[in-house]
Amino acid sequence: MSDSDNNILFDSVKGIQLEGAFEGSIITRCRDDNDSIIFSDNLKISNSEGIFIANGFRVGFELNYNKKIAFSRKIEAQWYEDFESIEYSILISEDIMQIYDEGQFSDAFPYTLNKLNTAALYLDDYQYGINHLEFFKEEMLRNPVALVGNGVIVADRVVIDERIDPVFYDCLIVGRDEKDDLSVSFEPYMNVKISLTDVKYILILGIEELKL
Amino acid sequence: MILFENSEARLLNIIRWGNNPFKKFVCTSEIKEELNLVKSRDNFIKNIKSIVKQNKNFILPIIGDVGVGRTHLYWALKNNLYYYNSFYISLESVYKKFFYNIYSEFIENLEIAPLKFVVNQLCENWGALERKYGFFHVVDIEKVKQTAFKQLLTKYSEIDPETLIDAINGITTHQLDPYKKIEAERWLLGKLMDAKELSTLNLSHDLHKGKNAYILLRLLIENSKLGTILFIDDFERIIKIMKPQDETPEEVFDPSWLYGSEMSPNDIASEKIFIKIIQLQKIDGLRIIITLKSIEALEQIKKKYQDMDPELLSLIREPLFLKNFSEDDIFEFYKNTMSTFYNSIECNEFTLAFENPYFPLNKLTLKNIFEHTQGNPRAIIKILIKIFNEIIDDEENLDVIIKKYERLDN
Repeated sequence: MSDSDNNILFDSVKGIQLEGAFEGSIITRCRDDNDSIIFSDNLKISNSEGIFIANGFRVGFELNYNKKIAFSRKIEAQWYEDFESIEYSILISEDIMQIYDEGQFSDAFPYTLNKLNTAALYLDDYQYGINHLEFFKEEMLRNPVALVGNGVIVADRVVIDERIDPVFYDCLIVGRDEKDDLSVSFEPYMNVKISLTDVKYILILGIEELKL
Repeated sequence: MILFENSEARLLNIIRWGNNPFKKFVCTSEIKEELNLVKSRDNFIKNIKSIVKQNKNFILPIIGDVGVGRTHLYWALKNNLYYYNSFYISLESVYKKFFYNIYSEFIENLEIAPLKFVVNQLCENWGALERKYGFFHVVDIEKVKQTAFKQLLTKYSEIDPETLIDAINGITTHQLDPYKKIEAERWLLGKLMDAKELSTLNLSHDLHKGKNAYILLRLLIENSKLGTILFIDDFERIIKIMKPQDETPEEVFDPSWLYGSEMSPNDIASEKIFIKIIQLQKIDGLRIIITLKSIEALEQIKKKYQDMDPELLSLIREPLFLKNFSEDDIFEFYKNTMSTFYNSIECNEFTLAFENPYFPLNKLTLKNIFEHTQGNPRAIIKILIKIFNEIIDDEENLDVIIKKYERLDN
């Protein structure tokens, strides 16, 4: 299901920049070395001061000595004065969020693995690549976030199938279409063939870190 | 190749195999009644529908004699008001475990999917769907329980906190704790649970405890998107219990020896049921339809309300009277029942096959039955069952049987 009521607050590619304060479910994709993503329920855009996010949740990968590790951090308050460091910010429509909520709320799968701390499941990196997909074959993991090409997938759960490919359930997908326009859709499930898709990373959000 | 078929003989053969089109003369709440009401009762149903649509809380008395079709009316209402959750209780049977029995009937009619939806909505109202960082539901069950307790304690100040805690624990566990969901669902469905199961769910009582059943009933009805209609049959049962004891000297045991002279056990029982019905009336959105045999019974009930809680008197609507069949109704009823019978034996062609549309009976027989029974539906059905049984037994010729019933004395 896709919805045109999503509000693109900022898009560096299309030159969209809505000034004002916004509330709701907002995904911000950063343009940084960590390919990080910020989830927040608020965002302020000021032409003179940049983009401000309070109480957000930033996830991605970072280099720690000779290793890349997944991280998730709470953002108390952050100004991005330089618009260059943000690729896009999109406010997901309430209709889509309601469907997403229904999927999240159904605890029909009680035997899902919840990771306590944010952990890497897959990272496509020539030097620091990580692949734990085989280890989690036929397991169900809660709260995955994936960066696929230009898009972001936030799902309720992911199952690693018998071909060692991830299948995301009840997922929000933010991405660009063939005209590079941003769009959002909800899918009850989505197969991602690792070998054919530009999957940059998949991480599993830690339940303890979401509680902070 | 069949060149000619005698449809009358074929129908009689089918009936003689033991197929009586008129099978039961008493309608029950357990067996669904497909046959709709006769046309003369259309306005009656329309009146009820309009009252149900315009009011959220009321008691609507329906007065009708024995056998006039009061329980059949329940099925007709249920079919007509299918977008409401309508359920039936008879005070004849729901005497003990009043709230538990009502809860069980309510749940059985509501079914599991709407039940889950309502408890889901309740948890949402208590903050279970709060989104962390705009996206993630990390449910803090204790926080949800505290919010729920605060909300419910304000709203239902007259209810024991212990009862509210049980209701909150049951509902939140069902929705938010996947590892105890199955046990919590059993509790929610009103199953009998042992102490170990209850302690796992952190509950004090199952729903056999009246107070628990009442609060659950109240929460579910008040938060259900469907309206709820409770149909209470034999409501005069309360009056019967309330009537003074017969003063016959043959009484060997005088209950006053045990219970004191002021109130008999029957008085106490009727008082209790009455109080429970008053409690039911406090449920927002519960429409109650009661059936009574006479207007005198209604007057006595109103008097009781006057004594107990005069404010609730305003909720009692003007009674509707369910009357016996008119002469046209018996013909329509007979045709409809035969048509349903033809459908059940997969011989719909019989509907138009006979010159006499009332075959194997005739218009005169039906008219006589109507006059003999004064249009009482149950009495009419009883005679029709008897006639068809005689046809099945085949002791006499069909003409002889029909002639016999053409001469029924009043």
